[in-house]
Amino acid sequence: MQPHTLEHIRIAPVLTAQHVTKRFGSTQALTDTSLEMRSGEVLGLLGANGAGKSTLSRIVSGHLRPTSGTLTFDGCVLELGSTRDALRVGIALVAQETFLAPDMSVLENIFLPDLATSGHLSYRDMRRKATEILEALGHNHILPLKAEVRTLSAAQRQLVEIAKALALDARLVIFDEPTASLSTAEVDRLFDIMTRLREDGRALGFVSHRLEEVFAITDRVTIMREGRIVLENAVTGSLSQNDIIRYMVGRDIGTIYSKREVKTDGTREVVFEVRGLRSMPWVKDISFSVRRGEILGLGGLVGAGRSEAVEAVWGLRPKQAGEILINGKLAKIKKPVDAVRAGLGFVAEDRRAQNIVPDFNVHENLMIAQMGKTRSFGRGYSNKEMRVRELFKDLDLPMDRMDQSLLNFSGGMQQKVIIARWLLIEPDILILDEPTKGVDIGTRSSVYRLLQAAADEGLGVIVISSDFEELIGLAERIVVVSDGSSIADLPAEGLSEDKLTLIAAPRTSTARNQALLSSLVNTYGGEAFWCLLDKEQAICLARAGADLTGMDSGQALKKDETFIPNAIRCCDDTFVGGDGLQTLLTQMTDTRGHDLGWIGLTLPEGGELPEPSLIRAQIMHLNNENMAEIS
Amino acid sequence: MTDTKSTNKAKIKLRQFNVQAILQRLEVRMLGLVLLLAIILSLSSEHFLTERNIFNILDQSVVIGIVAVGMTFVILTGGIDLSVGAVFGLTGIFLALFLQNMPIPVAIGLAMLVGAGIGLFSGVLVAVFGLAPFVVTLGVMAIARSLSFIFSGQRSISGLPPNLDSIVYSTFLGIPTNVLFLIGVYLIAWGYLTYTKGGRTIYAIGSNFEAARASGLPTLFYSILPYVISGALAAVAVTFSLAQVMSADPLAGNGLELDAIAAVVIGGASLYGGRGSIIGTLLGVLIMVMIRNGLNLMGVSPFWQGTAIGSIIIIALLAERVINWRSRRN
Repeated sequence: MQPHTLEHIRIAPVLTAQHVTKRFGSTQALTDTSLEMRSGEVLGLLGANGAGKSTLSRIVSGHLRPTSGTLTFDGCVLELGSTRDALRVGIALVAQETFLAPDMSVLENIFLPDLATSGHLSYRDMRRKATEILEALGHNHILPLKAEVRTLSAAQRQLVEIAKALALDARLVIFDEPTASLSTAEVDRLFDIMTRLREDGRALGFVSHRLEEVFAITDRVTIMREGRIVLENAVTGSLSQNDIIRYMVGRDIGTIYSKREVKTDGTREVVFEVRGLRSMPWVKDISFSVRRGEILGLGGLVGAGRSEAVEAVWGLRPKQAGEILINGKLAKIKKPVDAVRAGLGFVAEDRRAQNIVPDFNVHENLMIAQMGKTRSFGRGYSNKEMRVRELFKDLDLPMDRMDQSLLNFSGGMQQKVIIARWLLIEPDILILDEPTKGVDIGTRSSVYRLLQAAADEGLGVIVISSDFEELIGLAERIVVVSDGSSIADLPAEGLSEDKLTLIAAPRTSTARNQALLSSLVNTYGGEAFWCLLDKEQAICLARAGADLTGMDSGQALKKDETFIPNAIRCCDDTFVGGDGLQTLLTQMTDTRGHDLGWIGLTLPEGGELPEPSLIRAQIMHLNNENMAEIS
Repeated sequence: MTDTKSTNKAKIKLRQFNVQAILQRLEVRMLGLVLLLAIILSLSSEHFLTERNIFNILDQSVVIGIVAVGMTFVILTGGIDLSVGAVFGLTGIFLALFLQNMPIPVAIGLAMLVGAGIGLFSGVLVAVFGLAPFVVTLGVMAIARSLSFIFSGQRSISGLPPNLDSIVYSTFLGIPTNVLFLIGVYLIAWGYLTYTKGGRTIYAIGSNFEAARASGLPTLFYSILPYVISGALAAVAVTFSLAQVMSADPLAGNGLELDAIAAVVIGGASLYGGRGSIIGTLLGVLIMVMIRNGLNLMGVSPFWQGTAIGSIIIIALLAERVINWRSRRN
């Protein structure tokens, strides 16, 4: 805890939100939430996907009106009718998708709010002021003022948004998922800017679910879950990563997942495999496979590239590299119809935009995949009527409402019809992207039963979900995708949401850690690895050098299954033998003492051991360098 | 099993006889409007409800009716074809030129090919290159109109083979053949749009392109096809027009696209695509022609007719919207 923040904590909050509630139609997005932000401080607003972080920050910044509740800013009650009102009092939102005019120049965008007011504009004054602002941010060299915004990178656009907020002298800036599309270096640059703004005495909000970044930049955190505040204004330094994850995902794990009996003997053949899929810019290197009768989970955070990967598989996005094998045979899928005819089914993520044909009734919506598959001139409806009846019975769907619009049904019912659409064509593989998004809990479990029953009949099921609880409950195996690459392939058994969250978190330091491991191997030989440890198992995140420990990156092993159980159990800060190998494990922490996993160096027995303190120093040095760059 | 099946069937049958359900269908309301118009017009002019005038109305419906079928296809995909009037004119000139030195069926076939080719051009620009249909067909409209002046030498072409008029002026079972042809076109279009993969794909494209594509429907082909059909049907329509007036005018079909669009929209189609029906279009055509015919019979100045027709279009759409709001609130 730095001294300057201690001082500021005593200062009254610059913004408070009290009893804020927001409803969208029948959906309760926020329930009695409150928020406090103080000058000279970064408040982290955390929560899982869909917890209501963005909704709350959009209410504070005037993008949305609360259904009820009050906002006060500087002691005055705020009535924000629009973003312009918010900007006028000095509240700005820097969102993930920016609110910029793509055809206008950087300069014009920075002063966009001014352009909306009447009166004379001096481009010379604007240019001078913009240059001042960017200089104050320390990044004037990366942003040409004359460039059209459409030509800028995501990071540059963000900088324009920040400059726009500063041009209005915003005293409160909320960053909504600002790092989602930034590279490591760009994240560091952003944090540098945020630090400057904090020292300027502005109040900052940082909305994120990336724990590392939260620890790196925030002073306090408020955690949300399912539209409510579950932890308010806790000092970041007083929390561990595990605490935060627990608050984020909640303790109560429902009983909606009835685990099915699965033969995991590996005798079932692989029915579908994706190797080295690449579809830029989102998908870099993703591989996974699913066996007949297996439910495979594709886990990761929103924006990790999971949806984009399956859309590329489905022929909706161009593929630059990668092979798709169906029943062991190479399949060429250039457009969706190829996939449909090859025996695949695909429930896309966005039900309204990608699945439902609004002007078709229930029956026709059900039949559309069948129609895509058929080669006949006619619709091909009639020869499936029996199967339709069976499906409707299985799904508890009312037969007599078949000629109504699908839009008259609840989200859960719609989803069941969409899944039934694909079951109707009896595919070998069914891919579902966020199948329970916006589906109530009752229908949720019936969707799970449906998928499990389909898997029991030999269907290979691939489920993408950001809900890790769902993923662990439903899938037998989970492939974790992070930053466009599949980084782990783990059995769901023994995994917890905490661990999955840790693995899936895009690590800003991943590249540096990999470099650290390589340099360790180059200096000392043997094997270097980076892993997470808990009571029973070790999850290897990255490794380099010879294969001594039996660990592979992206794998979870019981401690006894590694070749160095002794060393892992000791976790002593020195070389531990007894495994036929000598292993040194050093814990990595960030500047505030949070666990970032362990760095290990394993050397063959008998050789001359280097001095542990030297290695530790090297690790710490690199680690501190990371941190120094950030703060 | 058979028991539940038969009760299900009975239920479905019951629903079909449900008066409210029938009244909720747009086409039924449109038919009501047609009948209402007929009653009003027959009250205001004794000449309206005569056999001769009814055939007159049907006869006048043929050209716009055929063009409106193609327009329905295009609008169902969410597009629009502003070029049909000009393509009508251009294919008319081509047909007249072809008729000078080849047999009638070959000439008609070639003219249809020209129309289809122009439609293919527009369709590819729209579906493959993603250009806005409004802009593409606006450009094609200008090109086609200009070409029809060039190929005709800025004059009407007459001297068409005299047996051409037999397609219009012969009758079958007392019904003029051109009217029969119109009914045939509508029956085929209705069957195609309702019962074939292609027809349903056209609806699905207009309703939700992404969903249609993800379901494996051939969205590219069926995004182009409606423009081809529209172009070809413009050539078919001009054949009937030529047979009636026995000369080809480079200005023919001026404004025809707007009449066709109006008919489709009065028939309940959404300009955003996905919604509309071929029967609705037919009723829309009849409404347009009846109003014009009735106003003529009443001796209303042609300069006032535009105001009358425009007002009726707007009132019909407004009424439809109000009814929609009401039913949605219920």
